[in-house]
Amino acid sequence: MNLNPMEQFAIKPLIAEPLFAIGGHPIYFTNQALLMVIVALASSLFLTLAVKPGALVPGRAQSMAEMSYEFVGNMIHSATGEDGLKFFPLVFTLFIFVLCSNFFGMIPGSFTVTSQIAVTLALACLVIGIVIVVGFAKHGLGFLKLFVPHAPAPLLLLLVPIELISFLTRPISLSVRLFANMLAGHTMLAVFGGFVVALGTAGGILSVLSIAPMLLIVGIMLLELLVAFLQAYVFAILTCIYLNEALHLHDHH
Amino acid sequence: MVRPPSSREGLFFSDFSAFEAVFMAPDPDRLRDLEKRLDQLQAKQAPKRPPPSQAGIAGRFATELVAALIVGGGLGWGIDWLFGHFGMHTRPVFMLVFVVLGAAAGILNVMRAAKEINAGIAAARSDKES
Repeated sequence: MNLNPMEQFAIKPLIAEPLFAIGGHPIYFTNQALLMVIVALASSLFLTLAVKPGALVPGRAQSMAEMSYEFVGNMIHSATGEDGLKFFPLVFTLFIFVLCSNFFGMIPGSFTVTSQIAVTLALACLVIGIVIVVGFAKHGLGFLKLFVPHAPAPLLLLLVPIELISFLTRPISLSVRLFANMLAGHTMLAVFGGFVVALGTAGGILSVLSIAPMLLIVGIMLLELLVAFLQAYVFAILTCIYLNEALHLHDHH
Repeated sequence: MVRPPSSREGLFFSDFSAFEAVFMAPDPDRLRDLEKRLDQLQAKQAPKRPPPSQAGIAGRFATELVAALIVGGGLGWGIDWLFGHFGMHTRPVFMLVFVVLGAAAGILNVMRAAKEINAGIAAARSDKES
């Protein structure tokens, strides 16, 4: 039995041959890719089928779909105002993808896509890329005013690079927050799981004691379900806040 | 959907609200009133960021600081690398300068995060009092 708590994050190719190669680098179909495909298919299939009946009085599945729609809609509206609703598809897709990845990761034996910094950083870079494009498209070069605080000219030489670095920190802090939360939670679960096995196989009175970490796991599992939702929410609302800044050139001084 | 009154309610019922809803145009004043009340309720239920836990705040500050240092160092390293391509040996001057700037940006980020969290806590408190 493998008790290494980091084993669950290992990426393994599921098909021995690489699918194709990009610039000499072989691209494999891995367990991570499989989970991402499952998450994408499951969430889009569920949402499509759930709203299919279009009943005036929604059933269980339909109200789940409608509630998530309204939840994200309200979130965008309160964070960015009316003109932010154009970005509903983006924020909704991000929210549902992160939420479903987190929840699918909670199934024992599956794989948590969002515990890979490669995935979360790619998502965060997508968000920041869109923010930059939207900012320049809406304000032209005026978007650069975001990096110029109100200060005497000589100080700007120092302050503009600082503001620039502060802006570029966003994709990193956005992705690290999601990745670190998922990584920490799942590692903790595996470590306590290891305690159960180690105590249980120790024999004698120690075997009885293995109940204690078992009960703890139940508690942590519940906490992790909360974290899974909360992190998806944080990711979505931060996307809204960054979009709001690009749309309205909010200066926070 | 309004269902017709069932026979159990008897023929001589006194509550005409079901018929009213089907056969009469809705009162515009009442509709407007309903809309206003709905708006108020929805404004109250608008999703707010839950106040983060102590560990959450600590984690947030740590990430902000470290991320800014990494970005600053990376930028400086990149500039040095770029200049090196043009035959100027600036390494490691820009990296050192940008690590310091990164540290400053990290502190700026932490201050902004703290302001944000304080505002969230204050909003939650005023909600509780009202």
